[in-house]
Amino acid sequence: MKSQSSPIIISCRNLTKSYYKGDTVVTPLENLDLDLEKGRFLALMGPSGSGKTTLLNIIAGIDSPTSGSITINNQEISRMSRSQLTRWRGKSIGYIFQLYHLIPVLTAYENVELPLLIQKISRSEREKRVLNVLELVGLEDRMSHFPRQLSGGQEQRVAIARALVTDPMILVADEPTGDLDAASAQNILSLLRQLGHDLHKTIVMVTHDVKAASYADLTLHLEKGKLIESSPL
Amino acid sequence: MWIWNLLSLTFVQLRRHPVRSMLTLLGVIAGMFLFVTIEIMQNSLRRSTEISAEDATLVVYRQNRFCPFASRLPQSYEQKIAKIPGVREVYPIQIVVNNCSTSLDVVTFRGIPKNKMDSFQKNFTLLSGSIDSWKQRSDAALVGRILAERRRIKVGDKLDAAGITVSVAGIIESDNLQNLNVGYLHLDYLQQASRVGLGIVTQFNVLVDRPEQMESIAHAIDDTFRYDQDPTSTRPEKAFIAQAIEEVALLIQSGRHVGWAALITVFALVSNTILLSIRGRVREYAVLQTLGYENIHLLWMVVLEGMMLGMLGGLVGLLGSASLVYFGHFTLSADALSVVFTVEPKTLAIGLVTSLLLGFLAGLVPTWCVTHQNIVDNLRAE
Repeated sequence: MKSQSSPIIISCRNLTKSYYKGDTVVTPLENLDLDLEKGRFLALMGPSGSGKTTLLNIIAGIDSPTSGSITINNQEISRMSRSQLTRWRGKSIGYIFQLYHLIPVLTAYENVELPLLIQKISRSEREKRVLNVLELVGLEDRMSHFPRQLSGGQEQRVAIARALVTDPMILVADEPTGDLDAASAQNILSLLRQLGHDLHKTIVMVTHDVKAASYADLTLHLEKGKLIESSPL
Repeated sequence: MWIWNLLSLTFVQLRRHPVRSMLTLLGVIAGMFLFVTIEIMQNSLRRSTEISAEDATLVVYRQNRFCPFASRLPQSYEQKIAKIPGVREVYPIQIVVNNCSTSLDVVTFRGIPKNKMDSFQKNFTLLSGSIDSWKQRSDAALVGRILAERRRIKVGDKLDAAGITVSVAGIIESDNLQNLNVGYLHLDYLQQASRVGLGIVTQFNVLVDRPEQMESIAHAIDDTFRYDQDPTSTRPEKAFIAQAIEEVALLIQSGRHVGWAALITVFALVSNTILLSIRGRVREYAVLQTLGYENIHLLWMVVLEGMMLGMLGGLVGLLGSASLVYFGHFTLSADALSVVFTVEPKTLAIGLVTSLLLGFLAGLVPTWCVTHQNIVDNLRAE
């Protein structure tokens, strides 16, 4: 996963996550090591319970490891407090959910604008950025629509625009095509790959789908919390 | 700056949940209407009965009499009272009332000597009409603003109450709320028209030089007439009012509990709405946290929602209450003395701040809950 041209942006060392479920200790991640170069598109694959979503959430800073370290862009986020992590996440991560998680009473424009409302930028700059990303995902003519007025594929495009609007260095996507039909899924994956390439974003995507994984630069297979295989494509 | 953005976002969210927002607002409006109305009544009662350091008027009444129909004092007491050291002015007053019991529409006539009007008029300001025209007509009356508005009368009109017909010579405004619900007539005219007879008055209002002398002068007055056929009972005017309207006051004071209950209802209603709203939006808040919203942002979003509901509902509720009291011209009277309900800006400000504060408090606990839960768990919430 290393090349001579790009620096490492995500580095995990002995990453372990465990928690109690009743009296049983569950360990979705165990002593995982990972290095990912900047600008790469990584697909995480594996069966349910293999720890891929846990790894994605730790990379996104919404979950924390029990032990080990994770360093992103030279910042060890595993040492950050909850509030530091929230601030870091707002600037550095764009999260794309499987079920889009748009706010139903807000329009596409207002949903995309959400991450910018808490940042120190002017209204005109905010508007410029929102329109720019909506244009990038091809939804400039749907900006006044509410989520219920959009198709699944369009909703996911809005979610991608929302993830991009803060210009984060990393996009994380949790099964972004899991709720879409084949044609829409293909569109979304093409869009993700193109955006990653054009905007030089590092993308980490969780998927069950081999076809979806084929859009990534490399694929990691996890099983029982351990990396069992990596396959550059 | 972000707080303005969140304020706007919260307003959009409230507007796009119209049914939930309107139902909550209706509850807040009803609760705050009740609370502010009771506050207005309490404040009006306080203004009528609380003795302040500047009060310098004593009321001399017939001992052991509590109704103006029963209190009869010789008008000749005036000279004896005037001689007591510290007394500045004595006003013999005859009172006639159309209803001696507790009522919402009592008309009280007070007769004072024509020659005393020049000094007595310091107690009020004339809104319309003139003192001269009052002096020129024996059946003239200076009518308090609230009474005039309630009976819809103006200068030149006739006012008929308690079997007496008077001609309105002026409308008066006064800081002393009692003056707002009375008609001031010529003493001799009232004595004759009410068949009480000349030389008999209901009470004396005694103005003293220094307020701190009130108690000693009251004792001196009562001592002067202790062995007369008509002994007196002298008290500061506000204390006299407080005793006369004791039952009315009790009624109003007991309303305080209703006011508190209304506040608790508003608090519970807004809290419940916010709590239900948050429960339904646990995943939404988790998404916002994922997008970089810190606890302070979420706190303000929830609290602003409560404050907006509280403020909007509070504003409408208190405006409704103020309008009702202002245009309704309500007075509650007993024994010819009235609690005149007036709207003070201070009461409205208290109502508005209270509703804002309730909205703020109603959002605190639900926010604490949502910000201290695990984001990943909340993202999975249904």
